[in-house]
Amino acid sequence: MNSFRGVLLRGLAAGGVAGVLAGLVGLVVVEAPIRAALAVEQARGQVGDGHEHGELVSRGTQVVGGVLAAVVVGVALGALFATAHAGARRWLPRRSPFARSVALSAALFGAAALMPAVKYPANPPGVGDGSTVEYRTVLYLGLIAAGLLVVHGAGVLAARLAHLAEPVRFTAVALAVVAAAVVLLVVFPAGPDQIPADVPAGLLWEFRLASLAETATLWLGLGLAFGLLVDPATRRTRLTSA
Amino acid sequence: MTSPSHPLSPALPRWAYAVALLALAVTWVVLQENGLALGHAAEVVHEFFHDGRHALGVPCH
Repeated sequence: MNSFRGVLLRGLAAGGVAGVLAGLVGLVVVEAPIRAALAVEQARGQVGDGHEHGELVSRGTQVVGGVLAAVVVGVALGALFATAHAGARRWLPRRSPFARSVALSAALFGAAALMPAVKYPANPPGVGDGSTVEYRTVLYLGLIAAGLLVVHGAGVLAARLAHLAEPVRFTAVALAVVAAAVVLLVVFPAGPDQIPADVPAGLLWEFRLASLAETATLWLGLGLAFGLLVDPATRRTRLTSA
Repeated sequence: MTSPSHPLSPALPRWAYAVALLALAVTWVVLQENGLALGHAAEVVHEFFHDGRHALGVPCH
């Protein structure tokens, strides 16, 4: 009997692996611009922001926490990913579990990381306005939710168009996804914050690219690791009993 | 439509949804919690995971 339990455990393991990899990318690539941004913030003299960094938690601990955040989120996303992978029967039903896993993770990266990175790009410490954080969070989560709906819709559309030849179906679904993404990016309101003048454009760009590298590592690492663990072709498992 | 054993995706048991909810809650605490669920302890959680929140692109102060 193939159990969901086995699949879930593989999801947790794959999420852990992806989280560690993403955490390392964070440590090596994202920490440098964060440090530079904290220096900019400190140079301001911090008047009454009420958000002194390193007061409750030391700087070194925050670096550890940054890696740990990626690991914990990776494991949690691994559980969600395993559930989605098992539940999404319409998602490329004829492909191998590995191909389904990688494709699903790429789609989720697009919806949950790339789209928000385009519309509401990541900002280093010292950029966000504390008074708008709730509005920004609503926009950010709203865009992710809408993006996930597009991913779901792509699966439904592909199933509906099953009678078409594959190249035609693929093109139709890809066009629909691009159109939906463009509509979302245009319709969602712009983020409310101005970038403070003392934050160099180069630093902002470096941080955003580094952040994208971390989320890409997290999502694609998750898809690859889960696909490797779950595909009977790479590992003899009881999943093949049909 | 839910034939019992699709070779690639076993049927989802009920508890799978509980696990998924728990996973969402964990993600929330690490990336979003600002006092709604944990009150004052949230500040420590926020500061501890602060680098991670920024690095993963989550809106923050």
